[in-house]
Amino acid sequence: MTFRRNATKLVVLAFAGMAFLTASAQTRKEFRYTVGPKAAVVVVNRFGPITVRPSSNNQVIATATLHSNKVEVDETHNGNRVELRSHLLQNVNPQEGQIDYDVQVPADAMVNVRTATGSLSAQGLQGDVVLVADAGTVDARNLSNASVHIKTLNGPITLANISNGQLDVTSVGGDVNMNGVTGSRVNVNTASGKIVYVGDFGGDGDYTLSNHSGDIDVTLPQNASVDITARSVTGSVQNDFPLSQKSHTSFAPTQGRSFAGTSNSAGSSVQLRSFSGKIRLKKQ
Amino acid sequence: MTCAEFQKVLPYIIETGGIAEQEEHLRTCSTCSDLVADLKYIAECAKLLVPMVEPSPRVWNEISKSLEQEGLVRKATPRGRLLEPTHASRWGPAAWIGSAAILLLILGGLFIHRAHSNRTEDASLTPAAQPARSGLSFQGMNDSADQQVLEQVQTNTPSLHDTYQTNLQRVNSYIADASKSVEQNPDDADAQQHLRDAYEQKAMLYDMATTRSLP
Repeated sequence: MTFRRNATKLVVLAFAGMAFLTASAQTRKEFRYTVGPKAAVVVVNRFGPITVRPSSNNQVIATATLHSNKVEVDETHNGNRVELRSHLLQNVNPQEGQIDYDVQVPADAMVNVRTATGSLSAQGLQGDVVLVADAGTVDARNLSNASVHIKTLNGPITLANISNGQLDVTSVGGDVNMNGVTGSRVNVNTASGKIVYVGDFGGDGDYTLSNHSGDIDVTLPQNASVDITARSVTGSVQNDFPLSQKSHTSFAPTQGRSFAGTSNSAGSSVQLRSFSGKIRLKKQ
Repeated sequence: MTCAEFQKVLPYIIETGGIAEQEEHLRTCSTCSDLVADLKYIAECAKLLVPMVEPSPRVWNEISKSLEQEGLVRKATPRGRLLEPTHASRWGPAAWIGSAAILLLILGGLFIHRAHSNRTEDASLTPAAQPARSGLSFQGMNDSADQQVLEQVQTNTPSLHDTYQTNLQRVNSYIADASKSVEQNPDDADAQQHLRDAYEQKAMLYDMATTRSLP
């Protein structure tokens, strides 16, 4: 009985020790830089997430959590440019090489971040944003008056409340989900990813949602003002939204494969193009 | 001189400026002058890549073979080539893969352009000959360049190798479908746009695989 109790204690101690060692292997570092208007902030990370949000002043404040001592942060601050770059000191596995970044930047900063396998999140910014994630996810929300460029291989992309800017999204296999995304030019291009758009396409914008084999689902409110064309080369289309017929289209509409029409004052041009996917347009 | 005749000797015109008849066509035809301007711009951009070592001769052979097979260049060139790097001895794997991406875009553009030309301007070809000329297949080059890209990923970020491989297959599938569609409907603007989109995706993938921005 005593032996069993001692053995249990040993196991508990061993687990506690391992937990302590793991925790102690993590190092937290903070970097602060004072910058001017429209500062350029670059963060490059191989393993781990990057979160970018607005700071309340003219400072860039970055917190980096390093998961081992086999990786470090190389920092550069030249004039109005701040660059943080993960530096692998030796061959490491993804766990050892991971750094979690939480970066606060002035809202008007121009942000350029890339991660290979972590997630990217940008919110509340008003400057130009470039987000590149090889296999990671991207979440961008509450961005305004900005030029936003997003690239992923197969990471899903979520976009919410993005307004008055230009948006360029390219992904090979990632799904793209958009809610309340408007701008003067919005271009989304995926190969096998599904594209979902919920919103009114703003006013006077130019929208192109295109893919190879994924579906495209668009949900519009009754008051949306759009001039819309939808065409799937070998797939199908389905329209449940009341559209006025257009007198002229650039292609000959084919039943079940394409449709075109306008709603209200037809303020925004919307092109939905799929090669073999299904395109659905419905009322909110 | 027709556009088809002009484009047949295009590489030599870019090198030498061409004879009077060709210069006259270039002055009067906006399609061909735009094409020449684009090719010159791309060739200039390709020279700006800063590489380190000579790419394998196999790579240039594959590219050369593909271009010859498609009839875009003749077998032997007396001096220089349109896309030959000026500092070949300093080219590195990452850079030539970037060049391959540019080449893919060029070939994609030429594919669309020629598919259109075959339909509208080269009506003298017999129906039997048309599929042979328009049936452009970059499979050989894709295999070689894709392999190099995957090797690069394996070296730099082994954990992403399978991800890149899967997505290369997706992009190639897109290119194959869109190419076929353009062949069948050369005047279909949507089909052409799908092909451009597919090549853009491939260029993006190559760029992500070879860029040095990752640690």
